[in-house]
Amino acid sequence: MTSPLATPRLTAPVRRLATTLEANGQELVVFAVIVVLFAVVAMINPRFLSDTNLTTIFSGNAYVAVAAIGMTLVIISGNIDVSVGSLIGVLATISGTLAVNGYPIIICWLAPLVVGIAINAFVGVLVAYVRIPSIVVTLGMLSVLKGGLISATAGAWINDLPPDFMLAQFRLFGIPSPIYFMVALTILAALWMRHSGFGRTIYAIGGNPDAARVAGIRIERSIVGVFMIHGFFAGIAAVLFATQLQVIQSTVPPNLELTVITASVVGGVSILGGTGTVIGSTLAAILFAAIGSALIFTNVSAYWLRAVQGLLILATVLADMARRRRLR
Amino acid sequence: MTLRSFLRHETILLILLVIALIILAQQSDKFFTTDNLLNQGRLMAEVGLLALPMTFVIVTGGIDLSVGSIFGLSAILLGVFWHGLGIPLPVAMVLAVLVGGVAGLGNGLIMTRFNVPPLIATLATLALYRGLAEGISQARSVRGYPEWFFVLGQGEVLGLPTQLWFLFGLAIAAAAVLGLTTFGRTTYAIGANEVAARFSGLNVARTKLIIYATSGLIAGLAAVIFVSRVSTTRSDMGTGLELDVITAVVLGGTSIFGGKGTIIGTILGLVLMQVMKSGLALAGVKGDGTIVVIGVVLIAAILLGNLLSRNGDG
Amino acid sequence: MYKTMILALGLAVGSGGVAMAQSAWTGGDELPTNPLACDGAAGAAAAVPYDGGQPTGAPDMKGQKITVVDVPKLIGIGYFNATSKGIADAAAELGSVDAKTDGPTKANIDEQITFLDNSITSGVNGILFAANDPVAIAPVLKKALSKGIHVVGYDANSTPDAREWFVNQAEFNGIAKSMVDNMAKEAGEEASFAIVTSTFTTPNQARWIAEMAAYQAKCHPKMKWLETVEAQEDNVLSFNQASTLINKYGDELKGIFGMTSVATPASAEAVTQGGKCGQIAVVGLATPNAMKPYVAKDCVKSVVLWNPVDLGYAAMYVLRAAVDGDLKPGATSVKAGKLGDLQVINGSEILLGQPFTFTKDNINDFDF
Repeated sequence: MTSPLATPRLTAPVRRLATTLEANGQELVVFAVIVVLFAVVAMINPRFLSDTNLTTIFSGNAYVAVAAIGMTLVIISGNIDVSVGSLIGVLATISGTLAVNGYPIIICWLAPLVVGIAINAFVGVLVAYVRIPSIVVTLGMLSVLKGGLISATAGAWINDLPPDFMLAQFRLFGIPSPIYFMVALTILAALWMRHSGFGRTIYAIGGNPDAARVAGIRIERSIVGVFMIHGFFAGIAAVLFATQLQVIQSTVPPNLELTVITASVVGGVSILGGTGTVIGSTLAAILFAAIGSALIFTNVSAYWLRAVQGLLILATVLADMARRRRLR
Repeated sequence: MTLRSFLRHETILLILLVIALIILAQQSDKFFTTDNLLNQGRLMAEVGLLALPMTFVIVTGGIDLSVGSIFGLSAILLGVFWHGLGIPLPVAMVLAVLVGGVAGLGNGLIMTRFNVPPLIATLATLALYRGLAEGISQARSVRGYPEWFFVLGQGEVLGLPTQLWFLFGLAIAAAAVLGLTTFGRTTYAIGANEVAARFSGLNVARTKLIIYATSGLIAGLAAVIFVSRVSTTRSDMGTGLELDVITAVVLGGTSIFGGKGTIIGTILGLVLMQVMKSGLALAGVKGDGTIVVIGVVLIAAILLGNLLSRNGDG
Repeated sequence: MYKTMILALGLAVGSGGVAMAQSAWTGGDELPTNPLACDGAAGAAAAVPYDGGQPTGAPDMKGQKITVVDVPKLIGIGYFNATSKGIADAAAELGSVDAKTDGPTKANIDEQITFLDNSITSGVNGILFAANDPVAIAPVLKKALSKGIHVVGYDANSTPDAREWFVNQAEFNGIAKSMVDNMAKEAGEEASFAIVTSTFTTPNQARWIAEMAAYQAKCHPKMKWLETVEAQEDNVLSFNQASTLINKYGDELKGIFGMTSVATPASAEAVTQGGKCGQIAVVGLATPNAMKPYVAKDCVKSVVLWNPVDLGYAAMYVLRAAVDGDLKPGATSVKAGKLGDLQVINGSEILLGQPFTFTKDNINDFDF
């Protein structure tokens, strides 16, 4: 406990550290948990840190992190999207269907982005202009997209995808492309959120919509914009998801929306809107991927997997709450 | 925020429900029969029970995503207490319901003691409670319950499925508490403006604890009824149930931002959902088509409500 | 007071955990196992009297048009698409059957029961089902029987008295023997292996794994069971889990069993992308189309499965025979169109045949 009187006498580095902590607290907590987890598991089984396993953890789950970036923006703006899993399922199926029908590869990669943006523009209009709460719109979209996908494909797998289509299997300097996408998109989105006018607008809307309106921000338009950006990221996630394996399942990946939302909130996005960063959500997505892998490496009975995940989410959130209380 | 605006959404729902009933009854003569309607009542009882406390939860501006997992945990523990630990079944039933209550209380404590937002707290316990159910059961089922136990889920009392009596009784109780008591007014006050409620001297924390604990308790009760209906326990019971429950409540006009909503609306939303599921199936619409229709109706109902109340504050 | 209550929850949960905690788990169930003889001699099957249930007051519909609903575990996956196709084929052949497939979008007993209940109300003549849980589905099936509806199961059974007949794709111990023998042949008698399954609550998978463990202990005692991981019915998760197993065990891992038609191709993909073709054998249940690329590359040598189209086809024929009164309790065989005579086993089950092993030589003859 630092007494208030002591604060002014803090040396500059400590003060800077305190500021960094305050600004990036949750990211640091999640980062610390990742470091501890990797260290502990590596002590039990050093193969955990082998380059192949790190590739599996990072590359195999990059699409979750990418989707979580868009979700983070949506949540910062004070909204939510529970249909993102179904959307990714639909977009991945569209991409694969175009590919097996011989369309140019670039169109197969871009179509999911365009369709994702279009669908979410519609969602955004319903939320912003028609003023239906986002959880209601996206609950409805969840049913519509999932039911529509099953009606359209009847679950037939998409086989015989052209080799050029496999974006996620492409490697540069031995590192699979999803990792580049994850890192690049996270950094770009983080910089953009911090420095662009629109980024600050999103924070303003989530933090206090009335104040934002008074300040002359066109809230409706911005919210549609946020959902469209989210659709763009969902499109990229869908392409990474679709091009990972030789087949596409044409179903909705089970519980994907929960994983994505959890990554965003554990990464420090306040569900009340207004705060949070995409770096945190990417770190949290990595954390979940690492937990799944770590449980196999430490021989924890897989029956307890979800219990351990739940405990870790809780621990991360409680640690963050405790930190905020200390800083206050 | 007057009584009139409260009633509006329910009126729309009622009209929608009547339209749905008329259309669906014309599609199949098997639909509008006592047999089918009672049967649908049996099938919707668990979601209905969970939707009652969920209405309170959402009226406070909160959400409880963990009800499906508490449901699974209580179901598994019923089996474990009875079969694994040899506790007499009636005692095991009570214990299973209580475990649900304690799990719900756990949610409440995480929110009130540590100021964790409800969505995050119950997202964590969604994974935690389901994980406990899986870990404890080791994915093994418990079967072979005695015949008398099935009265709860498969039997009838005075011509009505047993669980419907629970649903009716608790729905009336919930409507009375939410509509007529100080507790109900506190619930609305928290949802409308939590800070103001606290400064007006209302015990916000205690109210929330009671609501979330009750939510867990009812999830435990619904689980016992469900186990009796299907005569076995599995750790994956109730997966995804929370979305059905929330859909019913929101369809019923409860504002997800809190401060608005009624039990009557919730019941109407629930019935509308079940009527569509049954009626569309009988009319030959497949399951995947049905969920599309439910999604569209959910959006349309809220849309209509917003357009008619014009002040679209949702 | 809260502390006491949370403590009480902890104690209750803890004691429950201890009560149910068993010896090292494998992902199998706890039912008794019946491993086959190692040399492949068929065990003498004891004759079991008919133990199915019969519909009460079923109208005589012999030769007349009947409506049939098929409620699989879930719709929208390749496997049940194939069974559904078989059912439609048989219905078209029979001519007097109006068959429709409808079911939940996730493998969940709650929803499956609702679908069955609605079918009963709509007044069908026959129900085909693949159960998500053998006991949970029983009450609603018994209700169907009590309303004079004929009930036949396939793929995943219910308790016997809740249906008239069950079309068994291949016996559990037969699948287990085929899987373990193939693994021993490809990876060696002293190989260490791991399993990728769907979820631990899926009855068929749990049964196969239990039978595999028993058969392996009896006939290939030197093989080493490393672990079983859960991967839902999800392609990407299966791939990640299989990759993690490869990363964890390195050269120690000689074989992966895929227990579902999703897990097996994903495991093969993990082995391929990990550059371990030829070092790690993949043996599993899968449909031929999904496995062709890996079999062509010699990465996978044996794929075990029955033909799901035939399974649905046989189920439809069995139902028609039951409706027509051609298949009565005590019968020893039933005619199933192009499949010929199928044998009745275990009292009220109809055996589709021996599990089939697809290899490089024959896999291109199949398209499903």
